[in-house]
Amino acid sequence: AQSGGGGGSRGRLMSYSTEERGSSNTLSYRLFIKNPAGKYVSPFHDIPLYADEAKNIFNMVVEVPRWTNAKMEIATKDALNPIKQDVKKGKLRYVANVFPHKGYIWNYGALPQTWEDPGHKDCNTGCCGDNDPIDVCEIGSKVCARGEVIQVKILGTLALIDEGETDWKVIAINVEDSEAQNYNDIEDVRGLKPGYLEATVDWFRRYKVPDGKPENQFAFNGKFKDKDFAITVIKNTHDDWNSLMAKTTDEGGLSCTNTSISNSPFLCTEAAAINIVDQTPPCGATEAIPAEVDRWWYYEKN
Amino acid sequence: MRAPFSSLCFRLQAAAALRSRKALTPPPPIRFLRKMLHYSTEEKGQPNSAEYRLYFKNSDGKYISPFHDIPLYASTEEENDIPPKRSKTVGTKTLYNMVVEVPRWTNAKMEIATKEPLNPIKQDVKKGKLRYVANIFPHKGYIWNYGALPQTWEDPHHKDKDLDCCGDNDPIDVCEIGSKVRFGPNLVGHSVLPPLLSETMRMLLGVGWGEPSESLSHCIDDVRKHKPGYLEATVDWFRLYKVPDGKPENQFAFNGEFKDKDFTVGVIKSTHKYWKALVQKRTDGGAINCKNVSVCDSPFLCNEGDAKSVVES
Repeated sequence: AQSGGGGGSRGRLMSYSTEERGSSNTLSYRLFIKNPAGKYVSPFHDIPLYADEAKNIFNMVVEVPRWTNAKMEIATKDALNPIKQDVKKGKLRYVANVFPHKGYIWNYGALPQTWEDPGHKDCNTGCCGDNDPIDVCEIGSKVCARGEVIQVKILGTLALIDEGETDWKVIAINVEDSEAQNYNDIEDVRGLKPGYLEATVDWFRRYKVPDGKPENQFAFNGKFKDKDFAITVIKNTHDDWNSLMAKTTDEGGLSCTNTSISNSPFLCTEAAAINIVDQTPPCGATEAIPAEVDRWWYYEKN
Repeated sequence: MRAPFSSLCFRLQAAAALRSRKALTPPPPIRFLRKMLHYSTEEKGQPNSAEYRLYFKNSDGKYISPFHDIPLYASTEEENDIPPKRSKTVGTKTLYNMVVEVPRWTNAKMEIATKEPLNPIKQDVKKGKLRYVANIFPHKGYIWNYGALPQTWEDPHHKDKDLDCCGDNDPIDVCEIGSKVRFGPNLVGHSVLPPLLSETMRMLLGVGWGEPSESLSHCIDDVRKHKPGYLEATVDWFRLYKVPDGKPENQFAFNGEFKDKDFTVGVIKSTHKYWKALVQKRTDGGAINCKNVSVCDSPFLCNEGDAKSVVES
């Protein structure tokens, strides 16, 4: 995997790159992120939330390219928080294809330097946070690469309550999308990509049903909130992340190891970061995805 | 109009069902297994290039044409012309071979090259550019495994009374609606087989052997019941898929309604008959290349050496 291509790319202010360890579609897989200078960083803690605060342009870490199924996540409990595949009951997780959808229907990922605090009850949803960075659905045309760091415009947000936890889904568009200038708020999505917002609600409502879970619920009756509301939510999760980093003990199993926050007790040296990566198996051949992941699940909506 | 095929080896679907931990359908009878030939493929050129060709080989490793040399019927009853009524009594289904050209969810518009010797699969080119089908929201690429029935031909000299237009000069197209994403030659159980007709093309629906749902699909209503929305999505897809290329929406005969199994079997039989006339040179096929290695009464029959030199040139 590849994003950015290292430092020095013309026209790109920040060119992050990736380094894969272990084998894709196995338990050993880890994807580490490097900054433009080629040094390992944590995608949770070391990538700035803002690419341009005045213009409300944010950095986003892509975990799942559109139309793929592997449930990849920033490993919040592992040092340097590489991207790895989620495991449930000992099995690698792949999201179901819930007809008519194929895998994830946007590039899916997270905003760095944010945290949905499980100790706080969100006043909008009535539920506590899910202990993760805030999630983003990027709706542009390009299928991004796993681990790619892109700049996005925020358009709005959906208040998912996933298995009883607050789980905001921010809607955003890649600033490099050829149509990006036409997207400035959530209603632009409704006008320019009819059906996409409805499909998004439908996807989050039903995506765990094939796993035997019930349909998910939403706050605000599943209505999307606008850009300003979304930016406020993001700022709150950024404040929570700042509080997390200010603590002197690791919170709830999370790893706060970072390579750039100079006053953090969890700052680690470049050598220590290299050592963390070297502990992981070297990059190996990709394993095949099980055929059952291709199944298309059909059922009537409730 | 057919779709492109972009992959590699044939897998015996029955054997796959036997191996599968989720084999919910009984394995086919032994006589079917004897008849299921192991086909393989050989790529020439790079995928996603105009030079790419996918040639087919039979179980002896000899080059064949997927258009002419793969039997239409996989089951023995039809080959021996046992009447359908008796087949029903015996309780066996008619199984057809299908060549998968486009695996589900891919975009490259691959086709059996009807005008090239040995009819390899290649990517369609329009106005000098390789063709890729658009993703029409909410669909991603083709929404079924897409391909053709071998040994069929929609004769352009015959006007179809239902469609009020002539055949499209290609083998008949199939949308395989099972769960697996399939590549290459496949065995398709046509217990469900209603064709969706349009002005310019006919599409059949089939279910691949070894599918958990295969045993459940006996008629179009079963598809409606077990895969709600899929038939509607299929109509929607065919209506819209060329609009991004600047073409108008497609139209359908019969108001886009699916026809039943008997109707469909009739369609397959007639296109098989047209193919026989083509390959026996009783019909003028124009630029169609009928070179084959197995049709004994065909003037286009060639030997193994000829076939090999086609591929190696």
